[in-house]
Amino acid sequence: MPPRLGNLDLAAFSRFAATMKGYKSDSLVLKGALILEAHMELDDDPADALIPKTMHPSIPAYAIFNVTHYPESPWGAFTIGEIRIAGRTGVRPRGFVLRSYVDNDNAARELGARWGYPVAHGDVSLRQFHDRISGRIRVAGKTVLEIEEIDRESISGNDIQYIASMHLARNKEDDKLVLVQIDPEFTFSKAERGKPRVVALDNDAFGAGSHMKVMNPIGATFATADVTLPKIRYICNPELPAMQGTTKVAA
Amino acid sequence: MKFGLFYELSVPRPWTRESEKTVYDRAIEQVKLADELGFNSVFAVEHHFLEEYSHCPAPELFLTACAMVTKKIRVGHGIIICVPEFNHPIKIAERTAVLDILSGGRLEVGTGRSATWTELGGFRSNPDETKKTWDEFVRCLPKMWTQERYSYQGRSWSMPQRTIVPKPYQKPHPPMWVAVTSPGTEIDAAERGMGALGLTFGGFKEQEVKVKNYRKIIANCEPVGEVVNDKVTTVNFLYCNEDEATGVKVGGRMTGTFNYLAAQLLAAREAFPSKSYPSLGLLPSLRREAAGPGDESGAPEGICIGSPARIVKQLKSWESVGVDQVNFLLNALETIPQEQVLASLRLFAKEVMPHFQKSSDAAAAAAGGR
Repeated sequence: MPPRLGNLDLAAFSRFAATMKGYKSDSLVLKGALILEAHMELDDDPADALIPKTMHPSIPAYAIFNVTHYPESPWGAFTIGEIRIAGRTGVRPRGFVLRSYVDNDNAARELGARWGYPVAHGDVSLRQFHDRISGRIRVAGKTVLEIEEIDRESISGNDIQYIASMHLARNKEDDKLVLVQIDPEFTFSKAERGKPRVVALDNDAFGAGSHMKVMNPIGATFATADVTLPKIRYICNPELPAMQGTTKVAA
Repeated sequence: MKFGLFYELSVPRPWTRESEKTVYDRAIEQVKLADELGFNSVFAVEHHFLEEYSHCPAPELFLTACAMVTKKIRVGHGIIICVPEFNHPIKIAERTAVLDILSGGRLEVGTGRSATWTELGGFRSNPDETKKTWDEFVRCLPKMWTQERYSYQGRSWSMPQRTIVPKPYQKPHPPMWVAVTSPGTEIDAAERGMGALGLTFGGFKEQEVKVKNYRKIIANCEPVGEVVNDKVTTVNFLYCNEDEATGVKVGGRMTGTFNYLAAQLLAAREAFPSKSYPSLGLLPSLRREAAGPGDESGAPEGICIGSPARIVKQLKSWESVGVDQVNFLLNALETIPQEQVLASLRLFAKEVMPHFQKSSDAAAAAAGGR
């Protein structure tokens, strides 16, 4: 029996795909990012429809809810919120980004064109309270995602392992859909861990329909880090398993 | 140097009652043959929820079945998860004592703590606590095995005075091991006078440093039990074939399948940041090593697949860095037909084991036999 693979509806998700001008992007350091991330297990079988055939599902399936505030960038401060579905490309852990909402249109345009983020405009906020950290995405006045980290406790940034992202994008040169691997580097200056809470979630805003059923909480982290968005090194054919459809585009 | 078998018991989909039974039946047939061929021991994991990768949640039952159809081969837990949500310490003491009796004193008790969120999350265990509960359990077990009356008031569990029966067949008690995956766990093993049951092997140089360090520390250990087990084992894959290319090709299929299976699981560290899990544990490490750069045969350095001559060479290297025993995985998802697995074992016994017989005998004599 063939291995379990994702069965994402590429045609449906292609409407979120950014158009990229090739893959020759320089790396970019974004200093002092505040990163809130919540991990929640998902109902296993339906979640296979939330990752492309390039990826195997993780066991158990889980979602990464992420809201990050970048206080400075070439395009000014911005906050981005997104949902990634964890899986594996071959033997490596990766998170397929369903959709990213960004509150700064210039940043959104560059993130889409240079790194393939499936961007849309949203009002994204990250708020720090003494008892919790809260991240929220609002689209057209409606909250489509609100997550929290509660029961906060300090940890070392060395204990955090963020996994690389996969973005479904379109290459302007040949108009083909590709998966772009983005593996940022993090230099932590502060980190904490807590319990995750999903306060609000609109599956449709992320194209997830009935496939994303949040189940068991895993954990949440909140960190301050310098983030290096890397040069793009690998792209994958979203219609093939990673072992067969991965191309190296830079050293 | 001695040799053992190591079982994860991986079962390919679709799962039918026959497919599950076939995997168990074949494993028992392999163990029976290994016993006849002179292998020293068979270890079985304890894993839960690791679909396809390992359907071995009750190793004590599998090992009992092995013991019932064999005469000499030792049966080992590789490992028992020493986390209260998984196993109560009293039950561990009782189960192991019974298995030691049934096997006529052939039990080895490996201990550990699980490395996946798949399992820890499934039992709602706190990853921060597992190293602490493991430490507590391994200090209790020898006393539960040897003291007629036992009571305990500890951090993660307690019991009023009771008589835990039966006691193990081996006196003072079975040898104890620690699963060594995370860096530094070999030091934990050495400090407690426990054997290092290596579940990753690293490069030869890395292993040599670990073994030297282990030997130095265990010489001055404060043993948790009444007997020190100062042995170091490592795990490996085995597929032995007269034809080098065939051996590497078929064996490579097994290692590739293992890599794929292991990758799908959720390492504790990936999902839940914890100081308690500084590395990703067994699965990614073993994967990395099994996919390492190949030698002239195309097989990764240190991996025991290929012709007898190649395997002898790899094992001599492991022996030279101080490893006392190598435990072999023989299959993954039944990618290698049973007849070929059995033929590989026979060929290994005929062509490879004699190269190590002498050193094994000498070591046994020096240790007073066992």
